[in-house]
Amino acid sequence: MVKRRIWLSVLLCCILAFTMLAGCASNETGSENNAAPTEDYSIKIGGSSTLAPIIAQCADSFTEEFKTWDKVDTSLPEEPIVIFVSTGGSGFGLKSAVDGTFDFGMVSKNLKDEEKEQFANGSITQLGSDVLIIGVNSENPVAQVKPDLTTEELVSIFSGKIKNWQELDPALPDRSIVVAVRDLGGGASEVFDAAVMKGTPISDEALQIPSMGALAGKIMDNKDTIGYVSSGLVNQNPDKITPISVDGIAPTLENINSGAYKIGRALLLVSKDKPDNMEQKFLDYLLSEKGLGVVEELGYVPVAR
Amino acid sequence: MIYRGLGLKEKIISSIIISVATVSSLLLLAMLIFILRESWPIWSQIGVSGFLFGSSWRPLNTPPEIGILSMIVSTMWVAGGALLIAAPLGFGCAIFLAEFAPRPLAAILRPVINMLTGIPSVVYGFLGAAVLVKFFEVKFDLASGESLFAASLILAIMVIPFIVANSEAALRLVAPEYRHAGIALGVSRQYLTLRILVPLARKGMFGALVLAFGRAMGETMAVLMLAGNTLRLPGSWFDKGEPLPALIALELGSTTPGSSHHQALFAVGLVLVLMVIAVNIGINLLLNRLQKGG
Repeated sequence: MVKRRIWLSVLLCCILAFTMLAGCASNETGSENNAAPTEDYSIKIGGSSTLAPIIAQCADSFTEEFKTWDKVDTSLPEEPIVIFVSTGGSGFGLKSAVDGTFDFGMVSKNLKDEEKEQFANGSITQLGSDVLIIGVNSENPVAQVKPDLTTEELVSIFSGKIKNWQELDPALPDRSIVVAVRDLGGGASEVFDAAVMKGTPISDEALQIPSMGALAGKIMDNKDTIGYVSSGLVNQNPDKITPISVDGIAPTLENINSGAYKIGRALLLVSKDKPDNMEQKFLDYLLSEKGLGVVEELGYVPVAR
Repeated sequence: MIYRGLGLKEKIISSIIISVATVSSLLLLAMLIFILRESWPIWSQIGVSGFLFGSSWRPLNTPPEIGILSMIVSTMWVAGGALLIAAPLGFGCAIFLAEFAPRPLAAILRPVINMLTGIPSVVYGFLGAAVLVKFFEVKFDLASGESLFAASLILAIMVIPFIVANSEAALRLVAPEYRHAGIALGVSRQYLTLRILVPLARKGMFGALVLAFGRAMGETMAVLMLAGNTLRLPGSWFDKGEPLPALIALELGSTTPGSSHHQALFAVGLVLVLMVIAVNIGINLLLNRLQKGG
């Protein structure tokens, strides 16, 4: 009796295991079919949450304008245009572009050389740059007293050497400085480190805020906060966040485009393989006046054409 | 054997159940092994004590400094603090619902409390960030309102329904003879509840607390938005800190697989899982001893 029971369990386990394996197998063949260029009419894009709204908006207008691929280019089949956009961070974008989960990875950071190598056979397309602006609450008197900070002063503030506004300038109130940063190791903090901190560690009392929107919100809500914010978010809230110049250079469009203002990161689309005809058409659309218009509309600085 | 006398159908059904149960425990094991494998370089290079008791988290430095003591302390403060707030409220509420509340009132209160579990944690976090943080800043004139205490407050609201539901169930499971005996002896309602029923239900009520503690330790969204996420070792409940789940949620998106930063976050995940498992096992052992002693 006992033996039979064991055999029965083993048998059922085997059946269960085979069913699971069978499930995997059929999925795999399915994706292989999809990967064949003649059958896949969708473009999958994923990665940086900074780029996602831009790409999603462009994808919407692209799909609406053309509806089927043959309207984009007569050599393409009459199939509906489908573009998937999902977010998960720049690191995720890089990884997924390399392992082929997505056709394009959205990456909002300046790529290191070894990262560029991974896409030597593919493409790296810059759509624009996301400039970080040192921002304070508009009610903070520093906006009038000291609207221009040197790099050294910024390093002292963000590394926690200066903890009080009064230490920065005697005319400022005796209140502690609240330093707000993005997660250490993320794209924005890498940009800030490369341009300003140059390896000096960020204060261990700095608030790490999980998203750029929340960081801008923190500055708008709390008048003792200083932080780096995407230029887009500063432009969207001109009355509530005051930009601070760095070493006398204000973060204006001219200074950003001329390269004088240095705190920024590239907005990139990367792919492991050369883009096929459909993908290239979408890239062209992104780099057209319409696509770059969206980049500007959402507050980033479009790439010079 | 337990199968003797069962028909073929029952045997098949029970075998299916056994194999499904086996597969799900294997799943847990596989997950643990996977996390351990991903994080192995950290354990072998830095060592268990260096990782657990190092107080500097600079994973991007060369060489990386990887120590999570301040995150472990933050996690304990946040979860322990949440229980400190939630336990009296939750137990009180359970006792009230089980013994004192008039039936119509309980019929309204119970679903309302249960509904609290259905609210997504990001909503709690958002509410906390919008209301609590501002409140602390304005009322107490703090430079910034995020703190472990704020996170504990929100977590307390999140775990109260678990404590209430499980403790109430435990109180209701007490055999009716005790209740009858108490009433027959003419003791007051309060005496009956507090001196007879609660001690009899303590195992279940303790279990409710453990469940709540495990949940509070693993909760991510609310603490991510409220604890402030600073790297300093928290010295009190009102300091800022970065609990383990917040650390993983904050940093995993920007790591490259294979980097020591990525491996370190997997190691953090392993520590978190083991902490929750250890609390569960520890409490179970304690309860067994209580059971034997009493």
